[in-house]
Amino acid sequence: MRHVVLERWSRGESCVHRRDPRAKIVALITFLAVVATAHRALAWLAPGLLLLLLAGLVLAKLPLTGALVRAALVVPFTGVFALICWFAGEPALGLRLLAKSYLSALAVIWVVATTPLPALLNGFEMTGVPRFLLMVCQFLYRYLFVISEEAQHMSKAAAARGTAARNWTAPGPSFRAAAGALGVLFARSYARAEDIHRAMLARGFDGRFLQLHSEHFRPADTVFALVASLAPVAVRLTVERVVG
Amino acid sequence: MHIPDGFLSTPVWAALDTAAVPAVAWVARRAQRGFDDRQAPLLGLMGAFVFAAQLINFPVGAGTSGHLVGAALLAFTLGPAAASVVMTAILGIQALVFQDGGLLALGANIVNMALVGVLAGYLPYRLGGAGEWRRFSIFAGASLSVVVAGCLALSELLISGVKMQRSLVGISLAVFLVSAILEGVITLGVVRSLERIQPTLLQDSPPHKSPALLFIAVAAVLLASVGVLFASQAPDAIEQLTDHAGPRSFGWLRQAGTGLAGLALIYGVCLAIGRTVSRNRSV
Repeated sequence: MRHVVLERWSRGESCVHRRDPRAKIVALITFLAVVATAHRALAWLAPGLLLLLLAGLVLAKLPLTGALVRAALVVPFTGVFALICWFAGEPALGLRLLAKSYLSALAVIWVVATTPLPALLNGFEMTGVPRFLLMVCQFLYRYLFVISEEAQHMSKAAAARGTAARNWTAPGPSFRAAAGALGVLFARSYARAEDIHRAMLARGFDGRFLQLHSEHFRPADTVFALVASLAPVAVRLTVERVVG
Repeated sequence: MHIPDGFLSTPVWAALDTAAVPAVAWVARRAQRGFDDRQAPLLGLMGAFVFAAQLINFPVGAGTSGHLVGAALLAFTLGPAAASVVMTAILGIQALVFQDGGLLALGANIVNMALVGVLAGYLPYRLGGAGEWRRFSIFAGASLSVVVAGCLALSELLISGVKMQRSLVGISLAVFLVSAILEGVITLGVVRSLERIQPTLLQDSPPHKSPALLFIAVAAVLLASVGVLFASQAPDAIEQLTDHAGPRSFGWLRQAGTGLAGLALIYGVCLAIGRTVSRNRSV
């Protein structure tokens, strides 16, 4: 599966990986806000910010082409709207949408690929997101692949019994089969959640996840947060002063 | 339809983020109160289920297939608050791990799908009751959640200045309707198979309600969302009004004044209709 790549990258080792998740979250939000509010001189600003992100990717020792290709996941959606704008007589607007969403996605990848997701979610908890919601996210991510594999097994089993062959002529029976499979998957996930909860209680769960290493906001994190969030602001101010 | 970053104008994403933060906090607290702490693994697994459900294709005929979106199904099984939390978690994971939807636009996506979408899906289920209209209310709820979320997302894009031809808006509305019907049929199928396997998993619906209320609610929500969509690309009625009336100097004051006057007018009309309806009923 595609997403496992991000997981592998996030276990890497570099000066960006070592930084506190909160510092990276601050830097990410600043970058996104700089991109989202930019409207002047975007033809110069976008390459500048892209260079900045590339520098960040090199610093984090991430594979450049891999990250660039992954960020292109946004292109199908964005591209459709860019084309629509193009046909509506505003090609510049279309290009702007494309550039902005690509840069934002690349920035998110830079952070997610340098921070394991549990640590990142923990970082969000310390910025004030409800803990309950983040616990739901943690469980969702942990069991995403388990349940997905179960779903794939079910659809493969259904295909082996010949449901795919009948799709063209009479969708009714295979539709009912798919609905039945989803019902079973739902009930199974529900039962699994109860098993998980019982197992957690047996191991002394008291309402919060324990962390193996404590989070300390070191001076290096402060410096990182400052530099990484001031850099895009500086790029934008320079470009707007020189060009605009 | 998950809006990526860079599409919404700053007032739109900022306003929707500000609206989403307290709403999500409230919903999370409510969902937590509803069950005990076994809720967290349960909701997490339900989120994983919705992800996994996209891997199971539903044949529609002629070789095409669709898949479950899930907001309404979650509302029918877990209740609206817990369903909102699950949808929020799904949107968050999709924005972070799958680059599906932006991070600053997360507030907008949450409002569209996790808050309004879930509520629009739950409303018919609640009103439809357990009688002969139950199947229709399940279908209507699932369809409404898709139409409403789609219309909201599209109108946010249009308000943000994404240019789109009139005909294309009509086409996308048709696409929303088709996928809404599909979602309705799929959800109905899954709910019926759940009823056979384990009926306790579904939320109780009240014994009997009038179908008229159900139809009015569905029509009202449908009209409102389509209306918002078309209003977002037409010149604002209030703006037009302010161009004709009032002195030109106090810009924001004049707009606020006409806005408030419009609100008072709508309030008066609703009040009058409510009075008439209740009087007729008591006779």
